[in-house]
Amino acid sequence: MYTPTMLLAILPEILLLTLGVILLVVEPFWKAENRRNAGWLTFGGLLAALLISLLFARPADPQTVFGGMLRYDWYGFFFKMMFLFAAAATSLFMMDHEKLGRRGESYLLLLATTLGMCLMASSADLVMLYLAIETTSIPLYVLSGFMLDDKASTEAGFKYLLYGAVTSAILLYGFSLLFGFTGTTNLDTLGNALAAGPNMSGLVFGVILLLLVGLGFKISAVPFHFWAPDVYQGAPTPVAGFLSTASKAAGFAVLLRLFFAAFPGFASWPSILAVVATLTMTIGNLLALPQTNLKRLLAYSSIAHAGYALIGVVAFSELGRASVVFYLLAYIATNLLAFGAVMAFSRITGSDDIKDFSGLSRRSPWLGLAMLAAFLSLAGMPPFGGFVAKVIVFAAAVDKGLYVLAIIGILNSIIAVYYYLNVLKFVYLYRMDGENEEAHPIPLTRPYAIALVVLAVGVVLLGTLFGPWFDWSNLAALNLF
Amino acid sequence: MDWTIWVEWLIKSLFVVFALLTGFAYLTLYERRALAKIQVRIGPNRAGWQGLLQPVADAVKLIFKEELTPAKADKLVFFWAPIITMVPSIVIAAVIPFGPTTTLFGRTIVFSVANINVGVLFLMAVASIAVYGIVLAGWSSNNKYAMLGGLRSSAQMISYELSLGLGFVTAILLGNSMNLHDIVDAQRNVWFAVVQPVGALIFMIVTLAEVNRAPFDMPEAEQELTAGYHSEYSGMKFALFFMAEYQKMIAISMIAATLFFGGYREFWFLKDTFLSVDAIWNIGPWQFQAWFLGPIYMLLKVVVLLFFMIWIRATWPRIRYDRLMSFGWKVLLPLSLAVVFISAVGVLVAQQFDNNWYLAIIPIFSSVAGLVAVGFVDQALRRKSYASH
Amino acid sequence: MSIDLILFLILAVVAVATALGMLLSKNAVYSALFLVLNFAAIAVFYLLLGAPFIAISQVTVYAGAIMVLFLFVIMLLGAETLAPSKVLRGQGWAAFGLAVVLVAETVYLLVSRHAAVGVIARPDAFLNTMDSLREIGKALFIQYLLPFEVTSILLLVAMVGAIVLTRREKGG
Repeated sequence: MYTPTMLLAILPEILLLTLGVILLVVEPFWKAENRRNAGWLTFGGLLAALLISLLFARPADPQTVFGGMLRYDWYGFFFKMMFLFAAAATSLFMMDHEKLGRRGESYLLLLATTLGMCLMASSADLVMLYLAIETTSIPLYVLSGFMLDDKASTEAGFKYLLYGAVTSAILLYGFSLLFGFTGTTNLDTLGNALAAGPNMSGLVFGVILLLLVGLGFKISAVPFHFWAPDVYQGAPTPVAGFLSTASKAAGFAVLLRLFFAAFPGFASWPSILAVVATLTMTIGNLLALPQTNLKRLLAYSSIAHAGYALIGVVAFSELGRASVVFYLLAYIATNLLAFGAVMAFSRITGSDDIKDFSGLSRRSPWLGLAMLAAFLSLAGMPPFGGFVAKVIVFAAAVDKGLYVLAIIGILNSIIAVYYYLNVLKFVYLYRMDGENEEAHPIPLTRPYAIALVVLAVGVVLLGTLFGPWFDWSNLAALNLF
Repeated sequence: MDWTIWVEWLIKSLFVVFALLTGFAYLTLYERRALAKIQVRIGPNRAGWQGLLQPVADAVKLIFKEELTPAKADKLVFFWAPIITMVPSIVIAAVIPFGPTTTLFGRTIVFSVANINVGVLFLMAVASIAVYGIVLAGWSSNNKYAMLGGLRSSAQMISYELSLGLGFVTAILLGNSMNLHDIVDAQRNVWFAVVQPVGALIFMIVTLAEVNRAPFDMPEAEQELTAGYHSEYSGMKFALFFMAEYQKMIAISMIAATLFFGGYREFWFLKDTFLSVDAIWNIGPWQFQAWFLGPIYMLLKVVVLLFFMIWIRATWPRIRYDRLMSFGWKVLLPLSLAVVFISAVGVLVAQQFDNNWYLAIIPIFSSVAGLVAVGFVDQALRRKSYASH
Repeated sequence: MSIDLILFLILAVVAVATALGMLLSKNAVYSALFLVLNFAAIAVFYLLLGAPFIAISQVTVYAGAIMVLFLFVIMLLGAETLAPSKVLRGQGWAAFGLAVVLVAETVYLLVSRHAAVGVIARPDAFLNTMDSLREIGKALFIQYLLPFEVTSILLLVAMVGAIVLTRREKGG
C-alpha cells in the first residue's frame, strides 16, 4: 500500500515542511538581532531541498500516487523545481526587507505557499487541487498584508483576500459541477467520463467559464486582473515579486493540466482562451504605458506576460505546452530579477517612482546592469531569456495556424518595448538632480548581490544556451498526461 | 416495530430521568453534608432523619419564590435559557450503559436508552451544546455581570472541550470502539484508568471545567461577578440552573466511570465471583444473570467520583481567569495530545506483538509526560514575572 | 405514509423556517440561534440518511463550536442590532430573480433527471454498526491521506497567519 515512490513523489514537499518546522521551532530561541539569519536558513534549506530533489526524486515513468491524488511526473517535478528556485531567490530578497526580514513567520509563510504550489503542480484530483490552491493562497494573503502599520499593504492584503475568496468559491463551484456531471474527482477518469458521457457541451462550457474565473485570477488574466496592480504596489516588494512569478506559474501549471486532462475533446476552450489572451496582452500593455510607478508598471507588464503565455496554451499542441513551460521559466527568472533590482533600489531611496531611477547607472553600475538585463529580457530582446521564450510561443501559434494571434502578440511586444526602454532611459541616460550621483551610491547587501547575480546569469543562460532548458520543458510537456 | 420496544424505551428513559432528578436532589444534600464534615461543621440535619428531607424543603421553597424578569431583559431568551441549560444535562445520560446486555422476558435488553455506534461522539456533541444555555442566560439578562459570566463560561468550555475530546479519543483508542457498551466490555480485565492514569486524571480535571465546578467556577465567581450568568434569575428558573449544574456533575461522573473506571462492571477483585455482573445466579427454580448489580456498581463509582468533586471544592481556591486559560491551552492541551499519541503507540505495539503486556508502556510514558507538565506548571508559578503577564 | 416521510416533512418545515428566521431576524443573536436550529435539523436529516457520524459531527462542529464563537463575537462586540447596511439599488429584485432562476433550475433537474438517478438505496446496514465509521476512517487515512495531511498544514498556516496579522509588535 505504501511504497517508497510515494515518498519520493512528495519529497520536495516533505523537505519544505521539515524546513518550516525547523524554522518554527528554532527561530523563537534566537535573539532579535539574529533573526535575519532565518533568511539564510530558509535560503540554504531551499537550495538543499532543490539539490536533494534533483538528485533523488527525479520521476521515472509517470504514475499516480496516494490513491490518485498526485501525479508523479516530469511536468510536476519541473514546476516544483521552478517554485523552489523562486522561493530561494525570494527568501534572499526578504532578508533585508525592513518588516519581513527579521520575522520567522514571514519565511514560514513563504515556505507554506511554496508547498502549496508544489502540490498544485502535481495534483491529479480535484479535492487535492482545491486544497493545494488554498494552501498557496492563504499564506500569500497574509504576506501581502504583512506590514500592519502600512495602509497600502493592509489594503493589498485585504483586496487580495476578497478577490481570492470569491474567485476560489467560483472555482470550487466549477469543481462541484464537474463532480456532479461525472461522479469522479480524478482528472484522468473525469476527462474520459466527459468524453464518453452524453453530449453536455453547453454545461461543460459553463463549467469552463467558472474554472477560468478561478484560474484567471491566479494568473491575473483580463478581465480578472483588477487586483494585480494594487496588490503588487501595496504588498511588500519581495512578496509582490513572488506573487507575480511563482504564483502565476502555479496557476498556469494547473490550467494546463486541468484543461488538457479534463477537456481534451472540447474545442470551445481554446477559442475562449484566445480571446482572453488577446485581451490580456493588449489591455496589460496599454495600461502599462502611462504608469509612473515602477511596481505598478511591472504589475501591468506581468498581466501582459500572462497573455503571451496563454498563446502557448491556446496552441493546444505539444510544442504549445512546452513553450508555455519554457516561457514561465524565463519569465520567473526575468521578473524576479526586475523586482529584485527595484527592491534593492527602493530599499535605499524609499521610492519606486520611475523618475527617481534617474542616474541609477552611475549610482550603482551593477544594479543598472541588472535592470538592463531584466527589462531587455522582459521586452523580448536577444540575448536574454525573454526573447527565446517569446519566439517559441509565437512559433507554437504559427505552427497551429493561429497567425492572427501571433501577429497580435508581436504587435503587443512592440508596444511593450516602448515602456521597458522608457525605464532604461531613466536608468542610463538621465542624471540625478544636482548630477552628483557619486555622493549617493546604492550599496548592495550580500543577499541581494547573490540573488541578483544568480538571476542575471540565469536570464542570460536561458537566452543563449537554451537547448537543455527547452529539452526539459519539452520533456515536462510530453509527460503531462 | 412492535409496541414492546416503545415500552422498553419508555421504562429506560423514565429510569434515567428519575435517577438524575432524585440524584440531583440528594447530591445537594450529599455535598452540603460532606462540605460540612470537611469544614468541621454539622450541616443540614434538621429536616427528617439526618436531613434526608432537606431537598424536599428546598424544592418547596424554590417553587414558591417569586420569579422576577428584568424589565430590559430579552424576555424570550430569558425564558428559554434555563431550559436549554437543563435539557442537555439529562439528554447526555441517554447513551450511558448501566448494565450488561441480558435477556429478560424473552427479549434482549440493552441497558442504555440509546445504544448507538457513535456513543462517544454523542457525548461530545451534547457537551458542546450545553454551553448555549449559559451564554444565552448571560446575554438575555442584560446585565454586565451576567454577560461577563456567560462569555467567560463559553470561552472556558470551548477551551477545555479540546482536552475533553482528546480524553474521549484515549478511551476510544483503548476500547477500539465508539460504542460505550464496547468500551465498558473492554475494561473487563483492567480499567482504563490503570492503563492510562494520566488520561483519566486529565479527563477529570477537564470535566470540572466543563461543569463550571470549583476551582474552575469562573462563570459564577461571586467576588467578581456577583453570581455570574444567573445573577438575574430567581425562583424556579434559578432552580433549573441549579439542577442542571448538579445533573451535569452526575452525568459527567457517569461518563468518567464508564470511560475510565469500568462503568457498570464489577470491581477487579470481584471478577469471576458471584458478584460479577456476568455471573449466573441460581435461586430455587430460577436461573438468571446478575445484571441488576450493574446499576449498583455504577452508583458506587459515581458516588466516589462525586466525592472527589466536592472534596476539591472544599479544599481548593478558585483559579485566576488568565491562569485558567493558559492552563487549559498551554498545559492540558499539549499533555492530552501527548497522552493520545502515547496511547496510540502503545495500542499499536501491543497489536503488532500480540501481547497485551506491551500496553504497560502507556502508563509509564504518559506518567513521564504528566510529570514534565507538572514541572512546567511549577516553574511557571515560581517565576516572579508571571504576575505581570 | 411511512414514519420516515413524516419525519422528513416536519424537519423540512423546521429547516426552511429556521433558515428564513435567520435571514429575517433583526437581532443578530436571534439569527445565530436560528442558524443553530437549522444545523440541528440538518443533522437529523443526516441521521435519516443513515450517516450518524456526519450528523453528530455536524452538531459538534457547527452548532457546538462554530456558532458558539459566532455568538461570542456578536455579544462581545455588542453587535446585536447593527444599523441596516446600505443596499444597492434593485438588489432585492435581483436577488429575487436569481432565486427564481435557481428554483426553476432545481425543478428542471429534478423532473428531467429523476428517472436517471432512480431511488437511492438507504444504507440501513451501516446504521448501527461500526462499519460506517470504519469506512470513513479508511477513506480519510488511505484514499484521502494526503489531502487530510495537507489540510492540517493549511490550518497551521492559517493560524500562524491570523496571529501575525493580529499581534502588534511589542511596544507598538
